[in-house]
Amino acid sequence: MVDIAIDEVGPPTATAYPTAAGVETYNEAIVRKAVVATVFWGVVAFAVGVYLALELSFPSLNFGLEFLNFGRLRPVHTSAAIFAFGGSALIGSAFHVVQRTCRARLFGGEALADFVFWGYQFFIVMAALSYVMGFSKSREYAEPEWHIDLWLTIVWVAFAIVYLGTILKRREPHIYVANWFYLAFILTIAILHIGNNLALPVSFFGAKSYSLFSGAQDALIQWWYGHNAVGFFLTAGFLGMMYYFIPKAANRPVYSYRLSVVHFWSLIFIYVWAGPHHLHWTALPDWAQTLGMAFSIMLWMPSWGGMINGLMTLSGAWDKLRTDPGLRFSVTAVAFYGMSTFEGPVMSVREVNALSHYTDWTIGHVHSGALGWVAFITFGMLYYLVPVIWHRTKIYSVRLISWHYWIATLGIVLYITSMWVAGIMQGLMWRAYDANGFLQYSFVEAVQAAHPFYVMRAVGGIAFLIGALLMAYNFWMTVHDKSTAPVGA
Amino acid sequence: MNAHPGDLIIGLMMIFFAILGLILAANALDLEMSVFGLSLAGFAVAFIVGQVRRHFDTAELAAITTERARHG
Repeated sequence: MVDIAIDEVGPPTATAYPTAAGVETYNEAIVRKAVVATVFWGVVAFAVGVYLALELSFPSLNFGLEFLNFGRLRPVHTSAAIFAFGGSALIGSAFHVVQRTCRARLFGGEALADFVFWGYQFFIVMAALSYVMGFSKSREYAEPEWHIDLWLTIVWVAFAIVYLGTILKRREPHIYVANWFYLAFILTIAILHIGNNLALPVSFFGAKSYSLFSGAQDALIQWWYGHNAVGFFLTAGFLGMMYYFIPKAANRPVYSYRLSVVHFWSLIFIYVWAGPHHLHWTALPDWAQTLGMAFSIMLWMPSWGGMINGLMTLSGAWDKLRTDPGLRFSVTAVAFYGMSTFEGPVMSVREVNALSHYTDWTIGHVHSGALGWVAFITFGMLYYLVPVIWHRTKIYSVRLISWHYWIATLGIVLYITSMWVAGIMQGLMWRAYDANGFLQYSFVEAVQAAHPFYVMRAVGGIAFLIGALLMAYNFWMTVHDKSTAPVGA
Repeated sequence: MNAHPGDLIIGLMMIFFAILGLILAANALDLEMSVFGLSLAGFAVAFIVGQVRRHFDTAELAAITTERARHG
């Protein structure tokens, strides 16, 4: 085991800059903006999710309005959760981590960083408006039409320039492991986004476009992107977050630097091949399906390497979990990461997939990752980061963090257990035959049987939303209340 | 003028985006492109206004900081 701590002790070597918020060594204004956006979009994403869960339980809640129907709001929810909430958290934390670990202010000046942040927010708003108006490219997690995709490409290139430029001008010889993960996330997402969204617009002045690919190739490209959006946006990026914020909050070095190297390279090599497991039992050639399945099973090891490294970083500091509920979020997130990355490979096995595919089991799996891993690691990061970047002495209420933790955990448990039960039940009902070889249940019977679980899912979502609102209130008070102000301020 | 080269490049890009947004909105074949074009133009103009404001805020704060340092 090699002990390499995140060393920020000693005089700052970057030049101090006067800003509207005072003199700051690093560009913290951009991190503050991203934190506000993360909290805002988190609440929006969870609220839309709750509304959709209620719509699935009680369909009349769409009130017959086209912009409230499930088909239009579903991508609003997924984009708000993944790209708005997750993306803002990743951009903000990446900018914070790269400056601190490189001891250098962000490359490219204030305007370039601002362009990345505001340009990204513009992308989110335009995409959401576009979905509500009924425009969609119909590609999972990549619904925006061609012109919005082009805009995101420009913003993403600017993001890569800021990040790479900061690493290149670093005043620290070592590139800390969190930066490798952030860099893998930034570069791979650029490639995935461009590859998946290659399309021909009908007109330069019209929103409609058609994919450059067709048939099984189109499906394969779609899931090469879709699965790696999970792998590099929702996994690699958030592992970068884990590698910085857990050691900082626990005040411990990363458990094993060697393990971080091994699991980084194996994760990024193996992940890109796993996409075809989304296309089991389809027109995709069998060998490609088997390849996706085999690589998905191989993913167990690098995924669990990250989980072990995250959890073992707590060695000698487990007692902090009693007093620091923010750290409790991060550690629970790593546990959920381990669980989801076990479940995923199991579901990628063709025989298991025959049961789970197209059922709500998949929805439960996605949300154990999205809520348990992505949202929880983000909450842990936020509870650490808010007092630091707003220069406050502490979080306003530790008790509220604890409440948030337990309400959100209860919400996730309700959500994923109800979806597991509903999903397995649906799979079994769909494949049940009677003595004469006829289907035993109609589709509607399976929907009726799932109804109580849909209501339970909505209750879980409401609990998760309430937790997020408590967090937003806690942050507001942390920033504005006198009790958290530094002495003499 | 003491501006970062990055600020100038982004400012020029924003002028381009503002004009592009207006062209897209003016020739739009559907409501989506019309909304996008107008929003792009509005976004670019708002960004430039923000840049101008920050430039003067920063210059003012730097002057105050220097003045304070001089008088201990």
